[in-house]
Amino acid sequence: MVFMHDMTRKAGVIAEGAIPGCGKVENRSGGRLAAENRSGDRLAAGSPGGCPGDLGPVCGGRPPAGNPPDSPGDRERELGGAGPPVLRLCGVTKHFGELCALDRIDLAIDKGEIFGLLGPNGAGKTTLISIIAGLVRRSSGSVEVMGYDLQRQPLQVRSCIGLVPQELNYDPFFNVNEVLRFSMGYFGRRPDQARIDELLAILDLQEKKHTNTRALSGGMKRRLMIAKALVHDPPLVFLDEPTAGVDVELREELWHYIGLLRGRGTTIVLTTHYMEEAERLADRIGILHRGKLVRTGTRDELLREFGEQVLVFEVDRPPSPLPPGLRSLGVEPGENGNRLVYRYQQGQGSGVNEVLAALALEGLSVRQIHDRHTRLEDVFLKIIGLQSGRRP
Amino acid sequence: MNWIGFQTLLWKEIKRFSKVFGQTVISPVITTLLYLIVFGFSVGDRIPMAEGVGYLDFLVPGLVMLVIINNAFMNTSSSLFISKLQGTIADLLVAPISNGAVIAAYVLAALVRALLCGAAVVVIAWVVRGIELRHPLEVLAYAVAVGTAFALLGLAIAILSDKFEQLNIMLTFFLTPLSFLGGVFYSIRVLPEPWQTISRFNPILYMVNGLRHGFVGVSDVPHLLGLGIVLGSCVLLWGWNLWLLARSRKLRP
Repeated sequence: MVFMHDMTRKAGVIAEGAIPGCGKVENRSGGRLAAENRSGDRLAAGSPGGCPGDLGPVCGGRPPAGNPPDSPGDRERELGGAGPPVLRLCGVTKHFGELCALDRIDLAIDKGEIFGLLGPNGAGKTTLISIIAGLVRRSSGSVEVMGYDLQRQPLQVRSCIGLVPQELNYDPFFNVNEVLRFSMGYFGRRPDQARIDELLAILDLQEKKHTNTRALSGGMKRRLMIAKALVHDPPLVFLDEPTAGVDVELREELWHYIGLLRGRGTTIVLTTHYMEEAERLADRIGILHRGKLVRTGTRDELLREFGEQVLVFEVDRPPSPLPPGLRSLGVEPGENGNRLVYRYQQGQGSGVNEVLAALALEGLSVRQIHDRHTRLEDVFLKIIGLQSGRRP
Repeated sequence: MNWIGFQTLLWKEIKRFSKVFGQTVISPVITTLLYLIVFGFSVGDRIPMAEGVGYLDFLVPGLVMLVIINNAFMNTSSSLFISKLQGTIADLLVAPISNGAVIAAYVLAALVRALLCGAAVVVIAWVVRGIELRHPLEVLAYAVAVGTAFALLGLAIAILSDKFEQLNIMLTFFLTPLSFLGGVFYSIRVLPEPWQTISRFNPILYMVNGLRHGFVGVSDVPHLLGLGIVLGSCVLLWGWNLWLLARSRKLRP
């Protein structure tokens, strides 16, 4: 079916990235948040979901058993929305020599949210995640996680984060179980074999528990990295292409588990090249292009703004020439003489009734109607195309 | 302070070298014993020694120092460098363990290996020949301080290295020659000038002689001067490592 975009119409509405000085930051609940002062008073109040142990006021730890949110209201509060964002970036910029890898990124992510970070290769997704996790130094800007400032409280920030890096790694000296026990210990948690076994079961690694990590397949190594990132129950998890190289069945199971994590109030930042993954999991999506966060919004918001509904009317005879009544409604001739194409913005008034009335007025009988709506992938390509100044 | 994190990293590092015990402990001990056999038993009797000390008694402390230096350096440098190569260094960099605790864990694990190797050489030499131990505290102080200094040096070099070759350059072109020319096998008093004076600029000379004084009570140089040099080096190397972990673009670009 013919499906053409009118790319240029939307060029003006695409955000130009960050706001200098970070006076306002986008998040889910408030749309835009006023920048808060960074006196540190709020930070000193501790972080929600703090865990005990030798680390002091740090993050992590599952909610106490038997104390789940029991009402929708509790659930709403549990998922945040009204509280401060779990992650707050303000003017985050990174230069590698002359290259500006990230350009003044402003972003706020709420508790319990799954944020899909999309962008073409080299857009800066991994650099952004690495800055927050402490693997890469930012050139300027600020990062706050659970109210902790990365500059002043790097250890507290790290204790709140679980990271699944994009690059596979393994320690050839140790087996799967040992690696997970070490990961737990690094985060100040005493080894909890029950927790490790639970994760091994979820990630289908029980049989490899005592296998040296060198002997694992690529998919198994990926799963082990996911287990390492989750073993200390961090409230904020970064999944940098977590399902790359993972088979379809396990991908489904991982998606299910990510849903369970969200149910527990874990906040997840996900980068992926699978649009289906982002479409299915992400509450909100950010599109990063050439180091700029060019657009954020929910899937529905993006589809409303950039999506098109296309209807193809197959009529009983070729309407040639196209009657002015139909032309004025935006109907175009299709590829085949008997077809007429009508496009309208998704989520807005369709005007389909008017088109049907005009067809009837012209004495055209509709035999079939084909429809197609824009998918997230189309929106992504459209936004990237607009940013690149080309028609995708 | 994340004590559990520190303990975990320390235990992991000890476990790492224990998994390849033959390579990390037995092999260097055997190599050192070969030196002992070749120099101590075969040519040792022909080397004149002053102050009534037998050549084997003179040699053993030098070999102990050699094995401590090599193993302390190798343990931290190879472990951290392999982590960089494999990418598992990311696990450590994202963990809430302070830079000081990371350094301490790596250094303590290296000390365990170095002292294990050193003790093995001492025990074997004692069984074979029976050696003196005049100042045990001095021996312990030198062993721990020198092990710490070279473990710290190994850590810093591993952070800065991009290739294994760079680690080997340090070992082959600096540590081994300085150790061999640092009075391990001979007293610098037998050297003609200017070599005797030049030798006094080699810091390892003071470490070897300090340890030798602890064992047999003789030294070519003031025996506590070496301890001062080593402790001063430890402070500088500790600071250098802290700076590297916090600022080096080799770890965090």
